[in-house]
Amino acid sequence: MSDKVVTQFPPLPPVSRWIAPVVVAWLVPGGGHFMLKQHYRGAILSASVLIMFVLGLAMRGYMFEPMSGDLLTTLIYTGGFIADMSAGVFYFMAKWFGYAAPDIAGHTVDYGTKFLVGAGLLNILAIVDAFEIASGRKQ
Amino acid sequence: MHMNLNHFEATVLFALFASAVLGVVSKSTDKERLRYGLRSFGYFAATVFGLGWLMYLGHR
Repeated sequence: MSDKVVTQFPPLPPVSRWIAPVVVAWLVPGGGHFMLKQHYRGAILSASVLIMFVLGLAMRGYMFEPMSGDLLTTLIYTGGFIADMSAGVFYFMAKWFGYAAPDIAGHTVDYGTKFLVGAGLLNILAIVDAFEIASGRKQ
Repeated sequence: MHMNLNHFEATVLFALFASAVLGVVSKSTDKERLRYGLRSFGYFAATVFGLGWLMYLGHR
């Protein structure tokens, strides 16, 4: 039997090499790419996440709070909270400055909620991309 | 500030920014990123039109 081991991914580099870009990418959308000298990509990511987040706020989107209950409620509210918080400093500033709107019925508010969640989810993609660049798995 | 967008405007804006991010994070060259972003936007738009017509015809 061959003792050759085939790995799908190269081994994870030391945490010190990628933790700073990943944390910066979370806190400041696009910031991880700027830190890694990927300026125009960082600018596109930053602008996309910021505009989507501001549109969500302008439509009075609801910011999720973790809530327990039945499985679906827990999934939706906890997942929504994590997605909202993934927008980094935009989320914290909106919360601190009192822009968190109440959860009321209406299609515009519903679009706004989706825009806020979408901004956070897009930033998760940016964080993963920053991690892959910092760890040398991608250029 | 309060903004009211109709469904079409909201979906087009969502598709635009989602496609931009998908293009930036997915491929390895700028040309491939641009093509992927445009293709992604096209898929979003086609899905919106397709589902829109499906709902319209389904409610007739």
